[in-house]
Amino acid sequence: MEEIEEKPSKIPKIGEVINYKDFFGEYPIIFGIKIISSLALVYVILEFYNYHNPLDSLITKYARGAIPGFKPDPAIFVVWSFIAGFGFYTFTLFKGKYKFFLLLATVILLAQYISDPALDWQVGEHVIPTKVEIENSDVNQTAWKWKPISILYDDTEGSEERIDDTRIRVSNLIFGSMAFLGAFGIWKRKGWAIAGSIALAIIIGFLHSPNLCLENHDADFCGYEVKEQERTWDEYLASGIFIGLGFIIYIELSYAAIKYENYAEQFKPAGLDISLLTDVQRKGVSRTLRTLFVSYLMNLGVMLIITFTLAEVVINVNDYLATSEGRIQDSIELQGPYGIVFTSLIFFMLLGFVRMFIGADYDTEDT
Amino acid sequence: MWSKKAAAVAGGAIFLTLAGLIRLNYLFISAGLVMLTFVVLASFLDVWMPKVSIRRETTSDNIFEDGTMSVKFIVKNTGLGLGFVEIYDSLPPQARIIKGSNYTLLYMKPWQEVSFEYTLKLPIRGHYHLGPVKMRVKDAFDLFYNERIEDTVHSFSVFPEIEILEYQIIKSRSPKLLSGAMPLNVIGSGTEFYSLREFVPGDSLRSVNWKALAKKGKMMVNETVREDVMDVILLIDAREVSAVGGGKDTPLEMSCRGAATYAKQLLDERNKVALMIYGEDVEKVDLDRGEHHLFKILTALSSITPKGNLKLGIVLKDLLPYIPSGSPIILFSSLDDDFTISEAFTNTISRGYPITTISPSSLDFEEKMNRIPVEPLLIARMERENMVSEIRSFGMEIGDWKSDESVNTLWQGG
Repeated sequence: MEEIEEKPSKIPKIGEVINYKDFFGEYPIIFGIKIISSLALVYVILEFYNYHNPLDSLITKYARGAIPGFKPDPAIFVVWSFIAGFGFYTFTLFKGKYKFFLLLATVILLAQYISDPALDWQVGEHVIPTKVEIENSDVNQTAWKWKPISILYDDTEGSEERIDDTRIRVSNLIFGSMAFLGAFGIWKRKGWAIAGSIALAIIIGFLHSPNLCLENHDADFCGYEVKEQERTWDEYLASGIFIGLGFIIYIELSYAAIKYENYAEQFKPAGLDISLLTDVQRKGVSRTLRTLFVSYLMNLGVMLIITFTLAEVVINVNDYLATSEGRIQDSIELQGPYGIVFTSLIFFMLLGFVRMFIGADYDTEDT
Repeated sequence: MWSKKAAAVAGGAIFLTLAGLIRLNYLFISAGLVMLTFVVLASFLDVWMPKVSIRRETTSDNIFEDGTMSVKFIVKNTGLGLGFVEIYDSLPPQARIIKGSNYTLLYMKPWQEVSFEYTLKLPIRGHYHLGPVKMRVKDAFDLFYNERIEDTVHSFSVFPEIEILEYQIIKSRSPKLLSGAMPLNVIGSGTEFYSLREFVPGDSLRSVNWKALAKKGKMMVNETVREDVMDVILLIDAREVSAVGGGKDTPLEMSCRGAATYAKQLLDERNKVALMIYGEDVEKVDLDRGEHHLFKILTALSSITPKGNLKLGIVLKDLLPYIPSGSPIILFSSLDDDFTISEAFTNTISRGYPITTISPSSLDFEEKMNRIPVEPLLIARMERENMVSEIRSFGMEIGDWKSDESVNTLWQGG
């Protein structure tokens, strides 16, 4: 009997094209942590820009010099930058040549999008090569002509508009960089990207200057009319607490995803994947992860509640002191930012004092 | 201790607060203070950290090259705290982990005892140690940790690989029938019965077994175990030049494997064996026999490091007066960079010492590593062949040991 050789399929398996397992992870709970972490990131950045209008930033002021139409809108760029970061992560999942093909396809599509209005393709005069007489020549000279396609440049303005539009869209990444980096960091499990996104938030916040937009543009452009926004410092403080808590949740959950993934990693045989674990082992790891994560979430929840309560007390205690009767209300700047920092320092000093009596004892080494 | 994460969060929080003061940004101040409060509160979490004790168990104290050793850790939380514990066992750089990991991240519950295991392999002889063990107990958020270095060091030796030889190493030209002689398990003149065989012309009538004749009806003779003792000297060249090559592929490593194999065989045959190593100076393991002596020899072989440039001629001149006369000497040397070889051999043979040379070729290693161009290599090979021929011309045995040969196939090339 002849042996029938099974021909290998020409269609590559999905696992050979993209490392989709990296996206879903090996344990659903880690996938869940990443989703919650992503939501916390989007929330915290939206909330952050709610109080740091990008139009009031020094970045916008100088960026508009180079990109005239630059007008960042957080409602658009936060989500799209996150999607871009996630898209970049997805791109890194492609393997070998497929990564190159995808990059090539993206470049070609972008080039086609930009050149589409400007270029018009028509059937040329000489679809088949023919011998044609050369005009304005003294002797009857002939030459071979072949022009199957004629390219007409008919709407270069349309293309230029598209170039400007693309440039403006891409330039939104200046403010969206923290969402971009954050998304990449969460899904690719890169601690530096997560830390980088927070550092960018601090830098962008530092370059924010309230009402800067009105100095250079009209109210229509800036989106608000009055010089002073109707927000009290109480509102700022309260939202600052939520933004601070948001940052903590984002940092903690994204690092937790990395930590638990590393924890689960050690159960795998070296260099191999989870498929070599038996069902019982896999369920065991999954159960352990679930227990750990629930315990971790409880810890985090309790810590956030205590942090919120203490932060509320610390930040508002000087308000109470400033408004209560007594000599303390006459102290300079107690209600201002210096007062808040001052009372916070006292609070931390007291905590440090308590720390002396609570906590693990460390044996000192004899020298 | 502060983790990098805690330092980054606290640094960011302080920066936010100060930036808020400079820019009069309340949002920054409150966000910074919240993050700082979180870090300060987390510093109290070490109260709930587990208290961990650790114990290491190994399957063996010593292994042979390419042998494996299993290491088991038993970790116990002796307190009521819970949390993550990182454990890292320091390994020698030559060690290869073949199963498990020397690092683990454990989640410890109160009073819980867990164990983890890994198996390592050491490809090259030497003295090594496992440990110390680094242990890190973390809080729930990885912000603060306590680090401890457990001084549990486990020392062990990796002995050179031993092959089971399928041939008789050496036959002494002057077997000594002494009162303390040991049977060599080869047929010869002795008193201990070995087997029966049929009579052949030339056999002494004294050896005829008359009872067997009566029983079988044909002449049978008794064969006895030959009893003699050989004092064999294993001489190893551990000069710097013997480290040509890399890893296990050096003349010295091959010499050690050869010497270990020979020592095992000779000691199993109840001979007395001495080991002498020359390089910078001469180190000796005196003549003795038995399992314990093999251990001593293997330990000495594990300790050899290539150094110095002592010539064979000088070494033998010093040693020969202390070697029992007629004792065979087995030299393990690549015979490189030594102008005294001919003189040393002449001197040794003239004093009645049979010398067998086992010479791992360093040229093979040079060729493997592409360190030597083709023409010089050709010339070097010719020089080596000349030297081998010269030694053979003395009537002495020399084994030209190629890098891919085992000790067993060493003499097959003639």
